[in-house]
Order: sequence, then C-alpha cells, then structure tokens
Amino acid sequence: MGGTPIRGLIPLVALLVLWQVLGDPASPYFPPPSTWVDGIEPLLSGDKLLPAIGDTALTFVLGLSIATLLGALIGTLVGASRPVDRALSPSLEFLRALPAASLVPVAALVLGYTAQMKLVVVVLPAMWPILLTCRTARRSLSPVLLDTPRTLGLSRWDRVTKVLTPALLPSVLLGVRVAAPLALIITLLVEIVTRVNGLGAALGAAQSNFLSAQVYGLLTIAGVLGFVVNWVVTRAETAVSGRMRGTT
Amino acid sequence: MISCDDLAVTLPGATGPVDILRGVRLTVEKGEFVSVLGTSGSGKTTLLRVLGGLQQATGGRVSCDGADIAGPPDGVVTVFQDYAHSLLPWRTVRRNVALGIEKLDRSERDVRVDEALDMVGLRDRANEYPWRLSGGMQQRVQIARALAMRPRVLLMDEPFGALDAMTKASLQDQLQAVQELTGTTVVFVTHDVEEAVYLSDRLVVLSGSPANIGLRLDVPIARPRDQIATKERADYLELRHQVYEALGHRVGERAHG
Amino acid sequence: MGRRLNIVGAAVFVLGLGLWELVVRTGVLTFSYLPPPSDVAVGLGELFGSGELATALGHTLFAALTGWAIAAVLGVVAGSVLGLVRPVWTYAMASLEALRALPIVAFVPVAVLLYGFSVQTEIMVSCYAALWPILLNTVNGMRTEARMVESGRVLRLSPAAVLWKIRLPAATATIVVGLRLGLTTSLVLTLVAEMVGNPAGLGFLLVEKGQALQPGQMFAAVFVIGVTGIVLNGLVMGAARLAFRGQLASAGEA
Repeated sequence: MGGTPIRGLIPLVALLVLWQVLGDPASPYFPPPSTWVDGIEPLLSGDKLLPAIGDTALTFVLGLSIATLLGALIGTLVGASRPVDRALSPSLEFLRALPAASLVPVAALVLGYTAQMKLVVVVLPAMWPILLTCRTARRSLSPVLLDTPRTLGLSRWDRVTKVLTPALLPSVLLGVRVAAPLALIITLLVEIVTRVNGLGAALGAAQSNFLSAQVYGLLTIAGVLGFVVNWVVTRAETAVSGRMRGTT
Repeated sequence: MISCDDLAVTLPGATGPVDILRGVRLTVEKGEFVSVLGTSGSGKTTLLRVLGGLQQATGGRVSCDGADIAGPPDGVVTVFQDYAHSLLPWRTVRRNVALGIEKLDRSERDVRVDEALDMVGLRDRANEYPWRLSGGMQQRVQIARALAMRPRVLLMDEPFGALDAMTKASLQDQLQAVQELTGTTVVFVTHDVEEAVYLSDRLVVLSGSPANIGLRLDVPIARPRDQIATKERADYLELRHQVYEALGHRVGERAHG
Repeated sequence: MGRRLNIVGAAVFVLGLGLWELVVRTGVLTFSYLPPPSDVAVGLGELFGSGELATALGHTLFAALTGWAIAAVLGVVAGSVLGLVRPVWTYAMASLEALRALPIVAFVPVAVLLYGFSVQTEIMVSCYAALWPILLNTVNGMRTEARMVESGRVLRLSPAAVLWKIRLPAATATIVVGLRLGLTTSLVLTLVAEMVGNPAGLGFLLVEKGQALQPGQMFAAVFVIGVTGIVLNGLVMGAARLAFRGQLASAGEA
C-alpha cells in the first residue's frame, strides 16, 4: 500500500469540491460538506460529541485488549496440543461461522442494553483472527526452542515469559492488525443497532431525526477513527516485527 | 557421573509404537569425554535426550550422581544441533548467554557471562544479535550459554554437524580447551568417526534396531590433541580402523548400508 | 491431513450442548433470557411451522444476493479497468483506499436516510458492502505477472486475446476469493440494514423476537443465519470449481 500515488486522491477531492459547489444546503439528502460542521455543532456545544467518541474508543480499546488476551491464550493452548485442537475445532469453527451482526440482538436480550453487553459482542468476533494466528504460530514453533528453557532449568513461569511469549508476539500483533478494524466496525455496529452509547448511537439518532448534515459529519468522524486505528496498528506491528527477525 | 542401566525407550511412530533403545547400559565418570557414535536414526539423540531429562525412559534406570532422573537434572545441560532455533533472536548474545542464570544477582551473572564468552572467544560480539553472526559463532554462543551455568555434565547433540569442515575443526579444538580448563563431563553424540576418536577419552557405538551399544572403545591418546599431528599417529589410525570395522566397513570392500 | 471422522470433536460439541442445557435448567446461570438448546430446537420448529422463517430467509437472500450480484458486475468491471489501465489506477487508487477506511457499518444510517425503510436500502447497503472485496481483489488479480503477459505478446496475440486468454484466467482465483468475501459481507450488512432500517427479513426477525421476548426462536434464527452463510459460501466455491477448475487448481484453491 505504501506505493499508492497521492495523485489518486484527486477524484475524491474533486468529488467533495463538486459537491460543495453544486450542492444545495437545504437539501435533505445531500447537504454539501460545509454544512457538516454546523451539523455537528449542536452535539459539540451540548457536550455530547466527545463523550460519544470516548465511549466508542473505550469499548474499542477494551474489547480489542480482551480479545487479544483471550485469543492469544486459547490459540496458544489449542496450537500446543494436536488432540486438544481436534477436540475443540468443530465447536470453535461453528462459533466462528456466526456473524457478529446476528449476535447483537441476542446479546441485547440476554445481557441487557449495557456497556458490558457491548464489550461481549465486540470481544467474541474480534478474538478469532488472533486465535487463528496464535494457533498457527504455536504449532510451528521449533521444538528446539521449546526444549532450550527446559535444559537450562528455567521455571515454568520463566519459560512462558522469557521464551514462549516473545516468540509468539509477532503473530499476536499480526492477528491484532486484522482484528482491530474488525473490532471498530463491530463497536459501531452494536452502537448503531442498540443505541446504547457512542458514535454509532449518535449516528443512529441523527438519522432518525433526519439531520442529514449531522449524519455526514459523524460519518466523516467515523472515517477518521478508522484511518487512525489502521495507521496505529500497522506501525505497531512493523515496529515489533523489526526487532524480532527470524523467530520461526 | 551420569549413567543408565538396562535402558529401554519406546516412542510412537507412524504405524504404531517403535522400540528405539533396548537394554542400553552406559556409565560416564566425572570429567570423562565420551562420544556416542551411530548413524542417523540410530537412537543416539534419543539416548542423549533421556540422559538430559528431556525424554522419559520406558524401562530401566537413568541416574545422575546416584539420583534417578525425572526431568532435566540440575547441573546437566544439553547443547542442540539446531543452534538457530535454540538461541532467542530477540536477545543479544550477552543476554542469550545469561538466559539460564538470571536467578543470580547482577554481579555474579555478569562475571559468569564474561567468563563463558571468553572461553568461546566471543567477548567482542557480546552486544550483537544472533542473526548477525555466522553459524559457527551462533553455535559457540549456545555453548557459552551452557558453560555459564557451570554444568557438571554437558550433553552435546551433534553440535558441529551443521557446520563446514574448517569451522568444525576450530570448534573441536575450542571444546577440547574448554573441557581441559573446566573438567566438565561431556557426552558427545556424533556420526563422524574421526571427530569421535579425536575428541574422546572413550567412545561407544550405538547400532541395531532397537539400538544397543555394540562397541566400547577406550581412546588413550595423549592430550592435548592436535588436528594435524594427532591424526597422523599410529594409535589414532588404529582406533579409527577399529571403529570403521565395527560399523561394517572392511578394507578393500565397498561400504554398504 | 486425515479425513477420518472427527468423533472426538463432534463429541465435545455435543457435550458442550449438553452442558449448556444442564447449566440453564438447573439455574446455575441466571440470565433471564438465555434459552437451553432444547428451547432453541423448539423455537426452530415454531419458526418453520409458522412460515416466518421461510419468508424472512427469502427476503434476506433476495436483498443480499441482488446487492451482491450488482456489486459483482460493477466490481469486476471497475476492478478490471483499474487493474489494467495504469493511468486510471494512478489517479484513483488513493481515493479508494481513503474511502475504504470508512467503516461500512457507518454507511447504514446514511442509506436509511436516503432510501428510508425499504428494500432499496438493503440492496444499496449489500451492494456497497460487497463492492469492496470484489473490486480490490479484481484489481489485485488483474495486475498479473509480467512474464505471462509477455508470452502472449511473443505469441502475437491481440490485446483482446491477451485479456481473454491470459489475464482473466490468471485473475480468476483472486476474483473468486473476492466474490466469496463479498457474499459474506453483503449477507452480514443486509442483516444490519434489516435491524436498523427496513423491517423485513432475518435481521428484523431477530430484533422482533427479541422484543417479543422469544429467546428460543431468536437463537434458532441465529443458527439459521450461520448455516445460510456456510451454505452460500459452499455454493459459490462449488460453482467456481465447476466453471474454472484449471485456474483454481493452479492457484492451489481447488
């Protein structure tokens, strides 16, 4: 992706400019970009926008973190033992096949319209990419690498912290890179459908009230969030992978 | 002193359990350098792993200084052939060598690490990462790591098997020097007859299926040994001859099997 | 990889269901609306019997597949142009990548705003969702190995022949992956559109049953959705293998 020419942004910029120039501020469907800021204004002054972004960000970060921990743990355990893998695989594959969207109304019913419910809905699907990469990585760890701490008489704890975890770290980050955008999408999804809190809820509310300028404004903010998440996660993965050359 | 008696090891194979070793009896006295010779797949790695506590015996007794072995025993360290995967790529040489002794306090740890690195001649590369070093150097790091533990017994599984002839010769001599200096007991697994005769005080040949010790030979060649002079001596050549014969080679006959 | 029946795996799955049943029945887990598997099975029967399931499934499939089909045509054509005509790629790719950063889910309220509570909303959303994987995979697939294209030139093939005989077949495997991904995505986003916008289809069924406090039927609907996804995926793969055996085999997909 690094090689995509910046000139490619011209169509997008041109579209926005055209929209701005030709758009009718009074249009209920396509208000031009300049109106978007005004559209957001009531949320800003009403002290609603920042908390909403905060709620989304919190659910995202917390959900991704828990998903990473769970995914890494389960993935490593499953990857360490072929029999355990075979025993658990069908059940795990079945759970994986259930789309995140379908889980939302279910979670809302069983767990209520709470922030905790949001977390559960985000964690479950976001866990999979990390679980899968960790499973593969653990399976392909060199037996010599695993024997080394044993022959040096390291304790179990040392074995996990000094050898196993650093060896699996690049794979965990690879999984996180895939899971992060997914986690953001699901966070917004659950917010849009259940309207519990967050940017998604604001988006849904703006749509219900036919505040189209606000809708587009919020959409842009969501886009910026998405871009930031992608950027941070890619940098983190590259940074750590650089230090861990040749870990398989 | 490390030993096994009537050792049997059965491992799961592709088509059912396979008897790898049976009835193996071996005793290595303190300070001895014993080589275990055998072809690939002869079970010598399995034997070493059992002595190192990395593999459970199916039958018989394995003990170190009188105590039965159940898991890697204190003071016994294994050096693997696959050095690339044994070193931790995210640690510098110095920190790799320190891996086994991080329970000690700072000053003691640093002393041992420096000592070990000096013994293998890599003190000046202490702050580099393993992937920047050659294969021979990486293997030396692994050896240094074992030495830093000040082990009583060093178990080496074809440690120089993946290296070129010249590096191998150089490392053999370094190993000799280290063993002279520290008096560590060494059990050295190899398929290289020359190497076994050159390095050891005693050698055993593992053969058959399930494997057992076929030949036991003392190697009373004077130390220190030298790559040129020693390998031209009559007693060296005689011993070498005996070993090759035991492995199935006859003068004038072509090798088979 | 042994194709032996994974009995242990199946047993664990069944055991899991049994445990779930036990835990709910004996009141160990006290969620007011968590149904045991037996209730889910009953719910499935009820949904079948009342015909709600068939109607909802039909509606969702219609919306999802229509959107996907449109996206397939648009995506492959646009992707081909982007992949083959270098100047177009240079002057458009960055815009596409910027747009891609926008979470698709966030577009659903926009679609509802523009098209209201109608099936058009669903089709729009489904199409937009499927467009991305199909478009991007087509672009990637079309930027073929230079060597292969050169052989075409060496054999004096016309540009059209090169396209038809070399580029398209080479791109097939990647495009098929894009189509599969697109189908999954469009199905999911159609469900979202039904939950938030148009009150019809499986998505709405889920919400409806939730509000009617019918957890057994709700879980049954989720199960049906899962199975639908797997079946659709399998159908696309099967159709692709039939139509493009050679191309897929060479890419290791068949």
